[in-house]
Amino acid sequence: MNLRNAAPPFVRAEPTSASMLRTVLFALCALLVIPTVRYGIRPLTMAGVSVLTCLVCEILANLLRTGGFSVTDPSFAVTGLVLALLMPLNAPLWLPCASGAFAVLVAKAPFGSFGRNPFNPAAAGAAFAALCWPGLMFTYFDPSEPFRLPAFADCTFRTGVSAAATLKNGLKPDILPLDMLWGEAAGPLGTGAALVVGACALLLLFSRAAHWQAPVCFLAVCALLAALFPRIACSPLTSVKYELLSGSLLFGGVFLVSDPVPAPYTASGKGIYGAFAGAALMAFRHFGVCEQGAWFAVLLANAASPLIDRAVFRVRGWEEKPHG
Amino acid sequence: MIPHGVRLEPRKGVPLKNGIVRLPGPEPVSAPQTFAPLKKNAGPSRIIAAAEKAGIVDESDGMPLGKKLSRLARRGPGLLIARCFDEDPCTSSARAVFREDAEKVAAGLKLAARACGAEEKRLAVASRGEARRLRGLRLGIPAVVAGRRYPAGILLMRKLCRNGGRAAFLGAQACAALADAAREGKPQSETVVTVAGDGVRRPVNCRVRIGTPVEKVLRLAKPEEDVRIAAVGSAVAGRTVRDLSLPVTAATRCVIALRDAPPERRYPCIRCGRCARACPAGVIPWLVYRELESGDPDPLLFFHAGDCAGCRACNAVCPSGIDLAAEVRRAAARKEGGEG
Ligand code: SF4
Ligand code: SF4
Repeated sequence: MNLRNAAPPFVRAEPTSASMLRTVLFALCALLVIPTVRYGIRPLTMAGVSVLTCLVCEILANLLRTGGFSVTDPSFAVTGLVLALLMPLNAPLWLPCASGAFAVLVAKAPFGSFGRNPFNPAAAGAAFAALCWPGLMFTYFDPSEPFRLPAFADCTFRTGVSAAATLKNGLKPDILPLDMLWGEAAGPLGTGAALVVGACALLLLFSRAAHWQAPVCFLAVCALLAALFPRIACSPLTSVKYELLSGSLLFGGVFLVSDPVPAPYTASGKGIYGAFAGAALMAFRHFGVCEQGAWFAVLLANAASPLIDRAVFRVRGWEEKPHG
Repeated sequence: MIPHGVRLEPRKGVPLKNGIVRLPGPEPVSAPQTFAPLKKNAGPSRIIAAAEKAGIVDESDGMPLGKKLSRLARRGPGLLIARCFDEDPCTSSARAVFREDAEKVAAGLKLAARACGAEEKRLAVASRGEARRLRGLRLGIPAVVAGRRYPAGILLMRKLCRNGGRAAFLGAQACAALADAAREGKPQSETVVTVAGDGVRRPVNCRVRIGTPVEKVLRLAKPEEDVRIAAVGSAVAGRTVRDLSLPVTAATRCVIALRDAPPERRYPCIRCGRCARACPAGVIPWLVYRELESGDPDPLLFFHAGDCAGCRACNAVCPSGIDLAAEVRRAAARKEGGEG
């Protein structure tokens, strides 16, 4: 017996940070399945180049910061995949690369990489792309006729109008709810299939890879505001249905809002954070220029999270009080 | 912050129905030096003297029982509780002792309560099932169920003391030893140790002579060849031993043999907030950690760091593997050092 010393505890209760990230990765990969079956391997190449860019940028940043090559955690892959899934499938392949580079090199690495980034890198990358190339971010091909997209080349296509854009124009989307559940409508690559996103949410929840407070409050506030202030003339319930299923709201709620790193520490703070992001998102939808802006809402909430933490501290009396 | 503790998954433990195995002591044993048994209605000072003469050590905190009782007598605890439950998920020695002879534990607790003038006494048991069993035995001492969450002892204590009550714990083995000392004048010479972990093929609860080398105890459980870690005391807050010839003491509640060291990889804090929910003492470990990391800590934010009980629940939940207990200790030392 060759015994070693080690520090307690010798049993652990929770998944490790790395295994939480791996669960998220698995959920994101599950979202790629339906588009791949339907449109050929372009979704995979898109996800691949995006993740690769993030990896290269992460290594570059590590070289600059520590002089070492090693990448210690899979968070870059989460960023890359989320970005690819937020893009339209017909976007040129350099678009996810550019936004991935922005996400890692500007929104993450300068702050000290994983665990210290004050903004969700994927949200920052998507916002960057939406601001610089709105034309590319918001034109979607029309998926009503089945066809396969080329794996690498830029593609010509008939554009379709996404549900989010129709809502923005004050019209009722002409899409069957069933198609929206399976993502068979014009929209970003990975955000359409509401059923799969919902299954991913359950997976993340039950494997304890994500907390529930922020996403639940986010979705609840979105639904509430959609019911109270419908953008189109219809019953509140229909409005809720269309608002929740259109654009990247659901996807953003499950994968962007649930990211614990830029969120407040406390459970109640996380709830407030989610609610704030939801309110911001609905405000963007009502008054903003873009047809969807989950990433803007998330960035705004990220910026507010230190304030939220501070407010929770005040209320609980955790601060400015000598030990007693 | 309401302390929640941690739910630790129960491990492959020792089947309680197997009872306690006795490890044969080193042959010819010198006859235990005995003293006169106590009379039926001996007073407090006699009971404390008997505890001292018997050399009983409380396994729950490693304190000599006589000293503990006289200290408690001065303070006057409202409630005296015998710990018949185990906190960490690998150990079952306290439950095994309670299963084997609940009557003796209860008798010891009664004596101890008389010695320190406790008004009330309880047996803290691990589960509702145990509480039912206790009621069936009609020992005249009510049960209180300690929760499943680690650290059950501290959480139970907080619950009982919430309304300003005072309570104190005694170990089940110390109670049983006190009963033995009072009845037969026997010193405490043996202790019950759980040997478990994924590095042993036959986990057991064994009764061994105090001072037996750890190796002998471990061998009883048929250890695998590739055991890397041997930990004593607790699977959550214990310490590793490398020298297996060290003796078993009365406070050794378990020997855990593991084939793999726990992963040492650390990640940055991901702000999940789990450590603060787990802490039974109301410390906010991530806040302490963040302040210490920042290089210019603000001692006003070392919230309750001095109250840390060293239970390491925070370490057990942290997904990033940060040694939060050590950080909290560092912060408490800083505060004590007058820098605050
Ligand atoms: S070791 Fe200290 S800080 Fe950590 S959970 Fe236990 S009491 Fe709280
Ligand atoms: S448990 Fe660990 S990762 Fe979570 S908040 Fe506490 S220190 Fe940070």
